[in-house]
Amino acid sequence: MSSLSYAAPTTVDEAVKLLAGASGLAKVLSGGTDLLVQLRAGRLKPDLIVDTKKIPGIIGIRKGSDGGFVIGAATPGAEVEANAELNAAWPGIVEALDLIGSTQVQGRCSLAGNLCNASPAADSVPALFAAGAIAVVVGGKGKREVPVEQIPTGPGRTSLGKDEFILEFKLPPRGARSGDAYLRFIPRTEMDIAVVGCGINVTLDEKGVCTAARVALGAVSPTVIMVPEAAQVLVGHTLDADTLAKLDAAAQAAAKPITDKRGTVEYRKKVAGVLARRVAAIAFDRAQGKTNGKAH
Amino acid sequence: MNYVASDLKVVGTRPVRPDGVDKVTGRAVFAADTRAAGMLWGKIKRSPHAHARILSIDTSKAAALPGVKAVVTAADFPDIPSEEAFVGEGPMNFRDLALNVMARSKALYEGHAIAAVAATTQEIADRALELIDVQYEVLPFVIDVEAAMAPDAPILHDDLFTAGVNPKAEKPSNIAKVVTFKKGDVEAGFKDAEVVVEGRYTTQPVHQAYIEPHACLASYQPDGQVSIHASSQGHFMVRAYTAKLLGMDMANIRVNPAEIGGGFGGKTLIYLEPVAVALSKKAGRPVKIQMTREEVFRGSGPTSGATVEVKIGAKKDGTIVAAQQVLKYQAGAFPGSPIGPGCMCGFAMYDLPNVDVVGYDVVSNRPKVAAYRAPGAPITSFAVESAIDDLARKLGMDPLTLREKNAAKNGTKTHYGPVHQNIGFTAVLDAVKAHPHWKTPVKDGQGRGLAVGFWFNIGGESTATVHVNEDGSVTVATGSPDIGGSRASMGMMVAEVLGIDVARVKATVADTASIGFTHLTGGSRVTFATGMAATQAAEKVVDDLKKRAAATWEIPVEAVEWKDGKAYPAGSNAGAFEPLDLAALALKAARTGGPIVAEVSVNAQGAGAGFGAHICDVSVDKETGHVTIERYTAVQDVGRAIHPSYVEGQIQGGAAQGIGWALNEEYIYNAKGQMENPGFLDYRVPVASDVPMIEAVLVEVPNPRHPFGVRGVGEVPIVPPMAAIGNAIKSATGVRMPDLPMSPPKVRAALDAAG
Amino acid sequence: MPTVHFSSGSGCQAFTGGQSEVEVEATTFRRLVLELEQRFPGLGKQVEEGMAVAIDGEIFQDAYHAELKAGSEIYLIPKIAGG
Repeated sequence: MSSLSYAAPTTVDEAVKLLAGASGLAKVLSGGTDLLVQLRAGRLKPDLIVDTKKIPGIIGIRKGSDGGFVIGAATPGAEVEANAELNAAWPGIVEALDLIGSTQVQGRCSLAGNLCNASPAADSVPALFAAGAIAVVVGGKGKREVPVEQIPTGPGRTSLGKDEFILEFKLPPRGARSGDAYLRFIPRTEMDIAVVGCGINVTLDEKGVCTAARVALGAVSPTVIMVPEAAQVLVGHTLDADTLAKLDAAAQAAAKPITDKRGTVEYRKKVAGVLARRVAAIAFDRAQGKTNGKAH
Repeated sequence: MNYVASDLKVVGTRPVRPDGVDKVTGRAVFAADTRAAGMLWGKIKRSPHAHARILSIDTSKAAALPGVKAVVTAADFPDIPSEEAFVGEGPMNFRDLALNVMARSKALYEGHAIAAVAATTQEIADRALELIDVQYEVLPFVIDVEAAMAPDAPILHDDLFTAGVNPKAEKPSNIAKVVTFKKGDVEAGFKDAEVVVEGRYTTQPVHQAYIEPHACLASYQPDGQVSIHASSQGHFMVRAYTAKLLGMDMANIRVNPAEIGGGFGGKTLIYLEPVAVALSKKAGRPVKIQMTREEVFRGSGPTSGATVEVKIGAKKDGTIVAAQQVLKYQAGAFPGSPIGPGCMCGFAMYDLPNVDVVGYDVVSNRPKVAAYRAPGAPITSFAVESAIDDLARKLGMDPLTLREKNAAKNGTKTHYGPVHQNIGFTAVLDAVKAHPHWKTPVKDGQGRGLAVGFWFNIGGESTATVHVNEDGSVTVATGSPDIGGSRASMGMMVAEVLGIDVARVKATVADTASIGFTHLTGGSRVTFATGMAATQAAEKVVDDLKKRAAATWEIPVEAVEWKDGKAYPAGSNAGAFEPLDLAALALKAARTGGPIVAEVSVNAQGAGAGFGAHICDVSVDKETGHVTIERYTAVQDVGRAIHPSYVEGQIQGGAAQGIGWALNEEYIYNAKGQMENPGFLDYRVPVASDVPMIEAVLVEVPNPRHPFGVRGVGEVPIVPPMAAIGNAIKSATGVRMPDLPMSPPKVRAALDAAG
Repeated sequence: MPTVHFSSGSGCQAFTGGQSEVEVEATTFRRLVLELEQRFPGLGKQVEEGMAVAIDGEIFQDAYHAELKAGSEIYLIPKIAGG
């Protein structure tokens, strides 16, 4: 028999001790929709699995003292998607999560798992980056708050220490005239890994001029990346033809994809530009209260 | 044909399918579900190299691992001399099949089986594989068909000389054979032509992508008797091939059919059974082997990738006067691509005076190709139907009108010799013309494509037994594995003949020891050939039942008629007897002659060819190259639909596979000739949301050679989709896509290049 | 007499020395195969094991008794399988 151990700690301290004390490879289990697949394919051979789902607060959605949403790290995607308030405030995050895998997968998958699996093509991550989410990390040295864009460091790698894991995500309070959106390109209509993904979050003034923007691109770099140059193109402008063209160019310039079985360099760069334009249009519309249904 | 449409009470209706509940609740027993006491797990070690000499195989460490009960390599199988023998589906070279099942001196593709182990757990078997030490001399490899034909290409087989060339080939080659078909004088035809179109088309290999990986459980008993449960389209074929590869007597092998999760031609040959039997013999215990999805891609046969050049010449009025093709098909590691049908099917639906077709069967370092629904035809029709579409544009002619003008009819002589008889192509084209899809204007921003297709369909050997149980219920047993609803249609045909409720008829598939020989399920033959046997067996039962009634009433048998499941005296002179139903007659069977059973074996001739025409509307996202199928209609002559839902299902399934072939499916290789996408995440079979509701239109031009008028239906529908979609993309964007798949990056690149 | 047509590359022409058409005295397919084997040794076996035959337009996969008439046209084509 294999030497795989499983533990389901009921407190943060217990979990941290288990991770710190593990002699071999220890992996955190939230929904398991990446971990189990990798286990079965033989790509990962952990000695210890630490299931965090019994830790109080790690599953669930609540409001923080500042009025921003706090989402437990292991909350299943389906639960996030079913939350009406979250849908209204952050439709981009919800629609991104809704693209992961399939309906069945979303019954289990989590934002923390998607982020910490650190695939450059992860779907919820560009939307989370664009939202400016903060990851509340717990570990041997206590609790710290980390902007989500600082978590993934390379394909399959994160900045978390051996004894650390994410407890919850804090979203900033939602200001007025703000909207976010996420689109990805896949060859089929479902069940594909993103060839390119784009998340954009904007705040506009009463005249529809952008006052704040965050743009993130997925699948065109070793990690999901923030694209400040693209955000700068938007700030101070409405989404006119000139802005769109500059946005397209900025996205293409920032994209540094590889040619692999899912897409070529040239194609991915072109599509990064296309998606940036389309996502921005939806985000701007939502910020102005124009509901256009699902983006994808 | 004896049964008239207007009299039919069961055939043509849609009873609930007999296997549905078990399949959707997970209770259905597939080969991988079978278990046996003491069962071991078998696993296969596969070559990581696309082309390599096998220098040595050291299995000692694997054999020594606790829990490992047997290890086999090619040394455990007889070295079969090269031999062609037609057993099962198509000419099969058993030496090639044996080498494909277990490599001997060379690994010819990544995934080629090199050795196998049987162990008490799957984990131990996996570890044992890692302990098998294989020394390879890696050789240069070649995959692309034209690269494999080049004079300096790495040669796969030192003993393969091109057949069909004059003078005889002297040097070994990767070109296994050249075939040609000629009619008339194509040079003169082109001189006569007023408009000529040419095109060069390429297709990628695609896998049949059945949802159930290959699996089998084999048990070699101490007395030399072998029992096999296999996922297969033909358990008689499994028996024959396994016996051949192991040098065993067929009589000592019993193969049991299982529910099958798709085959589409990919399960008309064997990969696992001889290995499982050999392991079982060595271990003295039953052995189960299941392929993982990855193994299915690396180790089992897809269809060919190909290049096809087409040239068609016509008069200004649309009469085609010359047609030419050069086809190059990949065979995989061993000869045997479907180049023959490829050469025959492209032009089979047209009446052409001058034709010249040349085809090449080419080996290269990838898995040996296996049949895939109308093997060879979709590839050739992608090229021909795209070219015909271009011709229509050049002529300024409606694409349907162009096809009508040149359509094959009864009496048309094909370019490969046979004359079409009793075909329904014209009826299909008429149905297209009358269909709302064709008559509705194309929506703004969309494009429409039309393409047609043909498949021969086959008959062949089948056995069916019909017996009446003591309570008057009926069982029909056949030797045909059910991959498309044949149990339902057997039951319905028998119920029709007997005049009873189909719920009183149970259809089963019997194992090789329990029923007469039956050719495998493929070639769209079962409803036709096995149905013929079942119908004739039911008719014999009716004759017998009339005799029993006659004996009961003491009247001559000519004075008995059978109607609606009962025996009646024929006319008042025969006597005033109450009718006798099946239950009553079965009750007294012992007294009137014994069990009521009839078995019929046929070698069915007269299979009716099938024709189809597909209409496809697409929209193209010009910025991403993404093609959306907006509307799809598949019209097909089905002869007689026994169970229309199943027939529609076959048509929709074939069309969906054609859509995948057209848009996204391909094998992606790295620089070492290894497959990078051996899974459904990156081998992109369409998912449900990729395909609109496919409307299947059933045209019925009955085949007079079958009692109910049946034609095979399963294969025709995969032939038209690629060209229908290519033609629709051309209509939507002005761009011709000659290379499959027409995936988003290629469409976007083609649009950019067109400016 | 029935005429037999061999498509080139069916493998048959190798036995017939390049001839693509022959007339054969036979009233059944079985007799035809025997005659072909006699005239071109090895051809009969090739035909029986690897080819399908179309007699006056109709394809037969294997039928010794299939009747041939005086002017029958016989085409030998690759055996058709399927998927």
